[in-house]
Amino acid sequence: MHPFTYTRVDDVDAAVAAVTTDAVARAVQVPEDAAFIAGGTTQLDLMRDGVWSPGTLVDISRLPLADVEVEDGDGDDGTVLVVGAAVTMADLARHAAVAGLDVLRDSLLLAASPQLRAMATIGGNVLQRTRCRYFRDPTVSQCNKREPGSGCAAVEGTARMHAVLGVDAGCIALHASDLAVALVALDARVRLHGPDGVRTLPVADLHVRADDDPARDNVLTPGELVTHLEIPVPDARTGYLKVRDRASYEFALTSAAVVARVEDGVLAHVAIGLGGVGSVPWRATRAEEVLRGRPASLALFEEAAAAELADAFTLPGTDFKPELARRTLVRQLRDVTEVTA
Amino acid sequence: MTTTQVPTSTGAPVIGAGVTRVDGPLKVTGAVPYADDLAPRDALVGVLVGSTVAAGEISLVDTSDALAAPGVVAVLTHHNAPAVIRPNEASSDERAPMPPFQDATVRFRGDYVALVVAQTHEEAAHGASLLHVTYDATEPVVDLNDPRATRETDDPAGADSTRGDLDRGLAAADVVVEADYVTGDNTNNPLGLFAACAQWDGDALMMWATTQWPFNTADCLAEAWGIPREDVRVVCPYLGGGFGSGLRPWPYIHAAAMAAKVVDRPVRIVLSRPQMFTGVGHRPETVQRVRLGALRDGTLTAVEHTATIPVAMDDDNPENVVSGTRQGYAVEHLRADVDQVRLHISPPGSMRAPGEAQGNFGLETALDELALELGIDPVELRLRNYAHTNPDQDDLPWSSKALDECLRRGAELIGWDDRDPTPRSMREGDQLIGYGMAAVSFFYFQQPCTVRVVVRRDGSAAVHCAAMDIGTGTYTVVTQVAAERLGLELADVEVVLGDSSLPASPPAGGSGLAMAISNATARAVTGVLGDLELGSAPGRDALSRAVGDRDEVAAEATADKPDPAEVGMSPSGAFGAKFAKVRVDADLGLVRVERLVSVIDCGQVLNERTARSQVVGGTVGGIGHALLEHTTTDLHAGPQTGRITNAHLADYLIAVNADVPDLEVEFVGGPDRLNPVGVKGVGEVGLCGVAAAIGNAVHHATGRRIRRLPITPDLLL
Repeated sequence: MHPFTYTRVDDVDAAVAAVTTDAVARAVQVPEDAAFIAGGTTQLDLMRDGVWSPGTLVDISRLPLADVEVEDGDGDDGTVLVVGAAVTMADLARHAAVAGLDVLRDSLLLAASPQLRAMATIGGNVLQRTRCRYFRDPTVSQCNKREPGSGCAAVEGTARMHAVLGVDAGCIALHASDLAVALVALDARVRLHGPDGVRTLPVADLHVRADDDPARDNVLTPGELVTHLEIPVPDARTGYLKVRDRASYEFALTSAAVVARVEDGVLAHVAIGLGGVGSVPWRATRAEEVLRGRPASLALFEEAAAAELADAFTLPGTDFKPELARRTLVRQLRDVTEVTA
Repeated sequence: MTTTQVPTSTGAPVIGAGVTRVDGPLKVTGAVPYADDLAPRDALVGVLVGSTVAAGEISLVDTSDALAAPGVVAVLTHHNAPAVIRPNEASSDERAPMPPFQDATVRFRGDYVALVVAQTHEEAAHGASLLHVTYDATEPVVDLNDPRATRETDDPAGADSTRGDLDRGLAAADVVVEADYVTGDNTNNPLGLFAACAQWDGDALMMWATTQWPFNTADCLAEAWGIPREDVRVVCPYLGGGFGSGLRPWPYIHAAAMAAKVVDRPVRIVLSRPQMFTGVGHRPETVQRVRLGALRDGTLTAVEHTATIPVAMDDDNPENVVSGTRQGYAVEHLRADVDQVRLHISPPGSMRAPGEAQGNFGLETALDELALELGIDPVELRLRNYAHTNPDQDDLPWSSKALDECLRRGAELIGWDDRDPTPRSMREGDQLIGYGMAAVSFFYFQQPCTVRVVVRRDGSAAVHCAAMDIGTGTYTVVTQVAAERLGLELADVEVVLGDSSLPASPPAGGSGLAMAISNATARAVTGVLGDLELGSAPGRDALSRAVGDRDEVAAEATADKPDPAEVGMSPSGAFGAKFAKVRVDADLGLVRVERLVSVIDCGQVLNERTARSQVVGGTVGGIGHALLEHTTTDLHAGPQTGRITNAHLADYLIAVNADVPDLEVEFVGGPDRLNPVGVKGVGEVGLCGVAAAIGNAVHHATGRRIRRLPITPDLLL
């Protein structure tokens, strides 16, 4: 681990200023490689593994961003959960407002371990870096995410916990968050606070696909801080299914977040997130198109799942994933809609 | 449960009873002194640097940046490290792992190329990151199937065996089943990171180190440095799990000694988790072929079991994959053969049930396939070929064997006869239900063990032995044996272990220590009571009177393995039967173990609580072996890297609580006839057989035969 300096800030503006590279304009001298740290459950691993060596860590865990508010939504929306970025996974999972929102609660409770959930924050979770063990080992020289243009060792190596959607031979890094998969299915938004003000983005637009640019994880600009998540509570049934070798404390081989409302046998509303398969939390828009407005049936679910995985990029280690992802999605569509035939 | 319970003077049972661990309070209060806790507080800290290539020569080590970093005191490389002699293992003629920094050769990825010594761990780790090492790399051979690999056929484990005439046995068979079985590489992964701290006083070496065998570690260090054995002391009263990874004198221990010599101060090294994957051994992968011939009635006519396992460059690791096959069943015609293939991998070592765990999967899966082929119940097939004598040892009668009782009781407990034996016939919703079983005939292992028993003036006693307790309960059972035979309360017996300056001991391994140390203790007690002219279990007052005005009276005794021909018996290891009930998701391929029954014959149970705990722990390891654990190495299409791709506990999957049902354990059988305490080791029989029982249950549930470990969902889609 390289030496670094550590500072703690008390408000959002100070936090943004402390990591903004335009130091002169803000009259704060900071090194260019300053970064935020909250729970640190990913970042400390990266630092210990020698993959990431920030010069300054700006501790944002004390910012007043640890509340969950239930607000009235705009227009057709019902209520919206406004979740501070510093809320821990454990605290959100046991919040009363989440009790009936199965997809959100289960995506939290099926993730990581109790110890990690007690430390890790919601903001950090959606921004977590890939678990790719080629990315995470600095002795591996080929990694387009660490060193743009150097190639991808995982593509030629032992890839099992890797992505098959939103990837190509340049990078197959998986976005391993469970929570973010639920968030894209819930049409959640992320509120950002940066040097140039505040903006709001759909979570589905936050991350950058590896086949677009493996070197960028997300669209945040320098100094931008996730302050809140806005999670609309849908008028629909929801559920999260996570498939993994180990019954607890493992990233998903595949997962499916399903939000659906069936009216008179027809899928009036459907939104799907897939985990374990994408370089980003995967919004299954192709499957949704197949399903939307049509009579719910197992055959339709099969058709939708097949459409979503049709163009998967597989390698010998990941060639099982499209089939497992199809079955995972069909199972979860069946269980959420309670369609039996 | 068949155990003899002998009351103490207060009437409380001592042997067999589940008395609580004598070191329990220390453990639950965090007061246990692990080896690293005993290291001098002013010790410098060393961080080891591993090679980033798997084969070749170190061409340059630029230490200038590292040496200039804050807190860095020294950097050891092959240029400046002391030259030492490579020792042999005490247990055999095999070479101990090679001490580090002796030459420029890189033998595997992660082979130590340097040690950075600094004031703090953080400074040493930073210094290590500033080291610039360049290599003349060569193409490594890391794949068991690589035709370039050297195949060693000289049978270092004594595994190879032929009896009868295999071809004749096969020709006589009505049915022959033959298949290949593959088991993946596993890493022991005790939770406690291994540590060593060395301190020199002139030419005398004090070492606190994580080891399952302090006595041998001291022997090896004395040999390495060419110093008298009495000038080396290795202390390890406790460790945070071993599972075999502490059996060999690993290079990091030598590195601490070298560094302490060079800087003339105590130096302490704690391995990182990734280094635990390359620095302290692992269970090597195997490729096996099993061929079974049988008559229609199930009588085995021929058994052939061959296996290939890897061994590291310039290393020895005898691992007998076929020992269970050789002695498991009464079959006239048998061929067993193990070849080792030399690869650029980190040196393997023993991992709980070494060889046995892998070989049992092959054999007991093949027997399940044969049972199906013949239409004979798998339990009945094993009973029909029951080895009433040891076919691998001149057909001598076993010193104890209750495997038949294990099989029958296990079947009863799990409701074996209530299942529908047809594959893929039992289902609840999305879940396919399956039952499977396996038998275990574990090998006998015993090495000389010496114990000193001291009776003090106040009538209390102490037991001294260099052996160590890896958490299995050695402190407790030795206390029990001594207390029973001296007629003392448990609290009146002090057991001192884990120190190479105490009487010679075998390793805490091979399921051999409980037997060795119990019998040595019993003999030493007999000796001291003879010296005191007392009868058995005299009690504290009589002991005190007999010692009189002396400070103490002590006696030493050694237990060793018997000569089978002389005693007319084949010394027996433990036997066991494993029965599993699994649920397999019909679509998703997820296997979850719903029940796991272990019925064990380990002779006299010394302590029902610690013995059960051993079987439970072994079974958890068995579930990992079956379904989860797999150390994966890069398998590139092009040149190999030899790099382990999951050297972290988040990525290397050990069974967690959610994977483990409430495990059912029963003990059957009686005291073994060949030793005074009647005990047989129970450390490894718990793991063995679990993988085959689960795999056979998966077949029963799904109709799919998976001949590969671990059995993961992708194999079942």
